Amino acid sequence: MSQNNRDTLTARGPDLTSISNRAPWEDARMKLKPSTPTRKPKPPKPENAITIGVSARVLFNMEKEQQIYKQQGLEDYIKYQVEHETQPFSPGPAFSFVKALEAVNTQLRELYPDSEELFDVVLMTNNHAYVGLRLINTINHHQLFIERFCMTGGNSPIGYLKAYHTNLYLSSDPDKVREALEEGIAAATMFTQEKITEVSDTQLRVAFDGDAVLFSDESERIYKAHGLEKFFEHEKAHENKPLDHGPLKCFLEALGKLQKKFYGKGQRMDCPIRTYLVTARSAASSGTRALKTLRSWGLEIDEALFLAGAPKGPMLEKIRPHIFFDDQMFHVEGAAEIGTVACHVPYGISQAMPKKGINDKETSSAPK
Amino acid sequence: MVSTIQNTDVKQKEADRAVVVAVTSRAVFDCGADDGDEVCEVGVAFPLLQALQRVNERLLEENPSESLLFDVVLITSDSQQQQQSSRIISSTRHHGLEISSFCFSSEEDFTESLLKNNVHLFLTTDRDEAAQASQKGVFSALLNGKVASSEQLRVVFCGDAVIRTDAEPPSASQDAAQSFWAQLGEMRRRFGMLDSPLSLVLLTSRGGRESCGTALQTLRSRGVNMDEAYSLAGAPRSPILSLLRPHFLLINHLQD
Repeated sequence: MSQNNRDTLTARGPDLTSISNRAPWEDARMKLKPSTPTRKPKPPKPENAITIGVSARVLFNMEKEQQIYKQQGLEDYIKYQVEHETQPFSPGPAFSFVKALEAVNTQLRELYPDSEELFDVVLMTNNHAYVGLRLINTINHHQLFIERFCMTGGNSPIGYLKAYHTNLYLSSDPDKVREALEEGIAAATMFTQEKITEVSDTQLRVAFDGDAVLFSDESERIYKAHGLEKFFEHEKAHENKPLDHGPLKCFLEALGKLQKKFYGKGQRMDCPIRTYLVTARSAASSGTRALKTLRSWGLEIDEALFLAGAPKGPMLEKIRPHIFFDDQMFHVEGAAEIGTVACHVPYGISQAMPKKGINDKETSSAPK
Repeated sequence: MVSTIQNTDVKQKEADRAVVVAVTSRAVFDCGADDGDEVCEVGVAFPLLQALQRVNERLLEENPSESLLFDVVLITSDSQQQQQSSRIISSTRHHGLEISSFCFSSEEDFTESLLKNNVHLFLTTDRDEAAQASQKGVFSALLNGKVASSEQLRVVFCGDAVIRTDAEPPSASQDAAQSFWAQLGEMRRRFGMLDSPLSLVLLTSRGGRESCGTALQTLRSRGVNMDEAYSLAGAPRSPILSLLRPHFLLINHLQD
């Protein structure tokens, strides 16, 4: 691929947007325009690709417009959007993750030019087509490679997620996320974050909680019902019995498939994709069952971090993942506080009995 | 020979304002072979006619003297159905369909019947018929063979055909298409964003976001604002189409 093809490329490797407290479009590198028009690569067929569905409000920051919608209604909201059509939105919480996916694609295309095993980002929004031009202008402005979208004009996007064989759906609407989970699609709710710390620009890092994210919530139920001691006993006793799978297991699997493609070209030590397990389980006792379960599924995780109940924040700060999935808002909020892009997987027993957050917030009052 | 019978049960629409939609009777009624007097079974176009009727009802609710309404005419061109003309008319009455007139013609001159009746859109399940009508400058579309279950009239524009290459002069059929879209756009503007009895949906199959964006802009410049937009960029169409549930698909030259 030529050096001029989209400013995110350098001669050697990907240039993942490093998001600091400075807005990314102020980054000088973003201002580069290709000097010669190059042919855009064709999007892969949905059944071959790893499809990530993102809603408009997680890809871009539409807080102001959302307020207009809530306070003044749909017609005013549409009017505002159309009036500001040429004004691009600023990045939302999923933006850096999407940029990182594109950078991985660039590398995959270099190594396997004929393969369709790539990430494909599809914009899945409830918005009416009136907002379409502003969204397209924004995608152009940020030079994102998004060619597919569904603007459903108020209808549910769930059917379209299935039609695209969506592997992961990210949205600001917890109801849609829950609906997707019920249909067997990995999904998580994202929130606008005040602080987003800088992330690696050479490696896509994805971090997962264990119970009720990669694994089912079966053990968490035991902990909630019978307490910690019983939980440890149970896990030790069932060490060799694999846990049931959780909603994000298949997404980890998809990442693993792409990782193997890099390994195949000798890029194991510095693989452009790295995965993490960040769990409250402890290495000494309950951790073993988690690792054995992954092994029984034929899945690898690059780093398993057993916190034995300690807060996840400091560990996440060390790892700096592009995205972190957890089923408990307590952890999601904790991660957001240190600037990790964290999303909530509304699945399992924790949803019925929310743990109070650091700021004494409960799950139900999560920002949309 | 072409003959037109007006339906006296239905208030006739204003000729120069109404959007005349012609549908083949074969698509609306399944009359079967027998000569009995029984009411015909309904065909694949029946939900479409009900949806068109609902749009008219809502338009009149907004404005009782509205003249931009759908004017539905039934075209019967095959001899078998011609013999059932009285059954067709009585079935129309029975099902309470708002059909303004019945046009009977032979297979050879059914296009004449379309032109005589100033048809803006011709709907059929027969691809050849649609092609023939299109050649004569009548905007034609294929009916969705699968019965659409939505109450709302859902019209899908295949956007890859919206952008005309300026090199070619517009064909009569393309002009007809454009004026139909403009009429639909005007009709859609009679209603608010929510709870509209019709929804205009743009679907671009081949191009990416740029071609979808251009289509949106082109349509808007012609006074047609879309409710929904889908850019497939080469992804398979049929799973998306089955979710969109269009009553009919508007494409330029009946390709793909």
